[in-house]
Amino acid sequence: MIGPSTVLAAEFPPSVEDFYLPSILPWGAHDSYWFTKITVLVWVAVAAIIIFFLVSYRKPQLVPTKKQWMAESAYGFVRNNIAIEMIGPRGINFAPYLTTLFMFVIVMNFFSIVPFIQISPNSHIAFPAILAVISYVMFIVVGIRHHGFFKYLKTALIPPAPWFILPLLIPIEFFSNFLVRPFSLAVRLFANMFAGHMLLLVFTLGGFAMINANAWLAPISVVSWLMTIALTFLEFLVICLQAYVFTVLTASYVQGALADEH
Amino acid sequence: MAGQKPPPESHGDDGPPPPDTGMGMTAVSYLFAGMLVWGGIGWLVDHYVGTKGIFAGIGAVVGAAGGVYLIVRRLGA
Repeated sequence: MIGPSTVLAAEFPPSVEDFYLPSILPWGAHDSYWFTKITVLVWVAVAAIIIFFLVSYRKPQLVPTKKQWMAESAYGFVRNNIAIEMIGPRGINFAPYLTTLFMFVIVMNFFSIVPFIQISPNSHIAFPAILAVISYVMFIVVGIRHHGFFKYLKTALIPPAPWFILPLLIPIEFFSNFLVRPFSLAVRLFANMFAGHMLLLVFTLGGFAMINANAWLAPISVVSWLMTIALTFLEFLVICLQAYVFTVLTASYVQGALADEH
Repeated sequence: MAGQKPPPESHGDDGPPPPDTGMGMTAVSYLFAGMLVWGGIGWLVDHYVGTKGIFAGIGAVVGAAGGVYLIVRRLGA
């Protein structure tokens, strides 16, 4: 499918087209994006997370095995450092969802630096958008169940201020709480993964472009590929950070929905 | 992380509020939301009245002021 020869032939300035991988089913069909590498990766991520947590917690021991320790650390990290830290004692109720979200985002992101996979499904906005919609619906439902519909709207939209400034402030509150939040959540994750993949493409393909253009540029190509390796480590940082940020912001919105007036 | 401790049970609902719950993001989003919303409304007014941008400008300034006010009220002490 993608051999070294096609990589050598890949056009140099990488474009959005590079994110649309060839169709797997039907094999090699043009303009068919129903089943591509991206699709496979999403299901691999889902399966890997389910299997890992099921297997590592099948026979829980008091003194945990290595696998159990890893699973418990992941859950404990999200529960203590995100859920309870952000939401307070009620955060335990949200820890399972937040852990699932965190693990899913981090595994999906991690595909972008695994050799020979090297693209993250999150570099297509559809996946972050759906995750953001889930978080969005969740914090609104949580708020409505905690306060009741009108009381929730009142706490979310009406800030403590004199009545004559309210007409100025309520549109801002609405815009910032109900329109910007899901949008920024989705775009932040998508843009980071998109840009990361693009950056790696530029340096990898740029190396090939230079070495093909002129043999004297070979040393610079090597520098370019070394940069790719360095940027892969930077990408690892971005992967972890963005998974963390997505989870923390979701927790923070839930906290805002549960907060009482002050 | 060498082993996670069980969650702290010490404080109940009346404990101290959780620290920094994404306050930076909230503040930035209020500021931008203010400018965008009222700048946008001003732009619509411009379109309707036929002026060239005076209301969009006024709207953006007023919106920024509203955003700052909101940040102070919601996030300030």
